[in-house]
Amino acid sequence: MKKDELIAKLKTIIAPYIQDEEAFKDLSEDTDFVKDLKINSANLVDIILDIEDEFDIRLENEDMEQMLDVKSAMAIVNSKLEA
Amino acid sequence: MVGNDIVDLKEAEKASNWQRPRWLDKLFTISEKQLIHNSENPFVMVWRLWSMKEAAYKLFIQTNPSRFYNPKGFECSISDNSGVIEFKAFKCFVQTKITSNYIISEAHLEHQKLTSEIMKFTTADYNKQSKELKSRLMEFVGRLHHLKKNEFGVPTLYNGREALNVSLTHHGCYGAYAIG
Repeated sequence: MKKDELIAKLKTIIAPYIQDEEAFKDLSEDTDFVKDLKINSANLVDIILDIEDEFDIRLENEDMEQMLDVKSAMAIVNSKLEA
Repeated sequence: MVGNDIVDLKEAEKASNWQRPRWLDKLFTISEKQLIHNSENPFVMVWRLWSMKEAAYKLFIQTNPSRFYNPKGFECSISDNSGVIEFKAFKCFVQTKITSNYIISEAHLEHQKLTSEIMKFTTADYNKQSKELKSRLMEFVGRLHHLKKNEFGVPTLYNGREALNVSLTHHGCYGAYAIG
């Protein structure tokens, strides 16, 4: 999936859970879910489930381990879509 | 060393749906799910186990500097208000306090009492809460100290002579700090 398209989809998924509007406005590949967006770690699992539903994929524990920033989320989604 | 985690039960009810399909499977082991299903109050058990895992993770990354998301890997066993958590070769001891408003867990490498100082925030804004919590901690330890977070988000208090391990947590309208 194209980079811009994927970032836009992820942005929509992440939006309900963010606790820092400023960081969300400036969202880029380098944005960290916890450090920048202040997403509660209990909601990271909701993001993971939303990603699974949106892209019709399943994420394993090893995939979840890396799910801390936009870049990793993009890499994981793309690798699953290609598989 | 200490790791702590607080869960505001009202906020948890509002912000998470633990009954969402696959939600429990992603976070909890089979034996933890049994604890949840056999509990008189599954909602409280979910958040008790969650706060234990978070507190243990915060302690773990002090001994093994790193960052990752693997709550399921931190396997909990409990009795009364105590718990033991194992993650690979790492093992720690957790004390939990449950009230009608919040659940707080505190993890140590040895058996220890819960020492977290708990506060209720006057604001709902996340960043303002962080500031409020930090200023409460600084009031307690004295202005000679300064607080610094490392690249993994682990906070430490420095006073020029020594470094003190500290753990900070906030959720909903509650927060807590522990010094260990």
